Amino acid sequence: MKSKTNIFLLISAVLAVVITGWVYYQMSHSIGELSSNTEIDGDFKVCDEDKIPNYYSMDTDYEGGKKAIKNELLSNLQNLKFEDSGLITFRFIVNCEGEIGRFRIQSTDLKLEKIEIDSEKLKTLEYALVSLKKWNPAKNEFNSYDSYYVLNFKIRDNRVVDIF
Amino acid sequence: MKRFFKILKLILASLLTVYSVVIIYMLAFSSKEDRYTFASHLQGACLSQSMFEILKFQDPSNDRIYFEQSVPYNKRGYYEKGFRLLDKAVEIDPKMHLGYRGYMKLRFLRDFKGALEDLDRLDSLTPGVVDTPWGEDIDFLRGEAYFGLENYEKSKFYFKRSIENQGEDWADIQAFVYTGLSELELGNREQAKNHFDKALNQSKYTVEAHIGLARIYLENAELKKSKFHLDKAEEYFSYKRNDPYNEYLNEVYKDDLSLLKNFEA
Repeated sequence: MKSKTNIFLLISAVLAVVITGWVYYQMSHSIGELSSNTEIDGDFKVCDEDKIPNYYSMDTDYEGGKKAIKNELLSNLQNLKFEDSGLITFRFIVNCEGEIGRFRIQSTDLKLEKIEIDSEKLKTLEYALVSLKKWNPAKNEFNSYDSYYVLNFKIRDNRVVDIF
Repeated sequence: MKRFFKILKLILASLLTVYSVVIIYMLAFSSKEDRYTFASHLQGACLSQSMFEILKFQDPSNDRIYFEQSVPYNKRGYYEKGFRLLDKAVEIDPKMHLGYRGYMKLRFLRDFKGALEDLDRLDSLTPGVVDTPWGEDIDFLRGEAYFGLENYEKSKFYFKRSIENQGEDWADIQAFVYTGLSELELGNREQAKNHFDKALNQSKYTVEAHIGLARIYLENAELKKSKFHLDKAEEYFSYKRNDPYNEYLNEVYKDDLSLLKNFEA
């Protein structure tokens, strides 16, 4: 009887801990979080790993907007040829100091099915992004913050035709 | 004393069990509507997505769940996942979700042809109704899609129809601006001017119309008038059209003002 009481207590405690841990994890994490990988991210640092909002909630932007990004990059990417039409979407972090890194890439065709793009071409796009130096990090009246940003390279007729 | 500890253990174990049961009940068995609302308010959180998964399992034909679950994926650039969910919502209730999918293809993907396919299909399913996908006139969105395709005759046609649909006083001011921009692309400066003026009659704060007029007057070598509109554009710049998620096709920037000022100089 004594052991039955202990087993009941043990099982109920374990269940409560597991459920609480699961709910806590689920509440404190959201889709699209990019974890650090030093092999591909180099020495890129964020200011607060636990607090990285999305660009649309913090007005993260590039000086002159996406139009300026397009003006800076598009003409230099015209020699890059692609097989499929679609989108190459970069999700990355603009850190509190206006540096960018932790690039993660999704490539989709016109039906939004995942497609493979030659890694060298993706590297070229990433280098082009790294060359952008006029980022305005997320900020409010108190501080500057890290934030996630999304940028799309639109592919049509085998080349990049738009960046937005 | 032993009896006391035993009772204490039983009480504690019972409380922990009740706690676990209540959480499981709230996540999986309470009112579906309440859980849907809760998950929607937690948009993007893993818990929200898990709750949508449970709801989909329990109510697989509820289009609203697929729609709502798709939103954070698309906002964060995971279009493959987001659109798979949205496609399912459209499959279940096309009249309800085609407009939103068209809007998303237009604004988030700049897939102008795909947007037009969805918007045209929605229009064919609702004869006699002027649809308003995501709160915007369907012809305004079609006009924007044709503008993106650089088919300015068609963009002009749909923006004008949008103005007719809503009535001049109620139309989106940007429909006048886009009509002006389309006319400008077609080389019709006078008509363009006319539409930019109409936008300014609706609101003097329409920065895009001031910039359009400044450009036309500059090309006509009417520098005084060009400067007037450029100054107004600068004064009212904070009223410019923008969106936290995406850049509009006719979005203007401070650089546009500097460029025109340099030409004037």
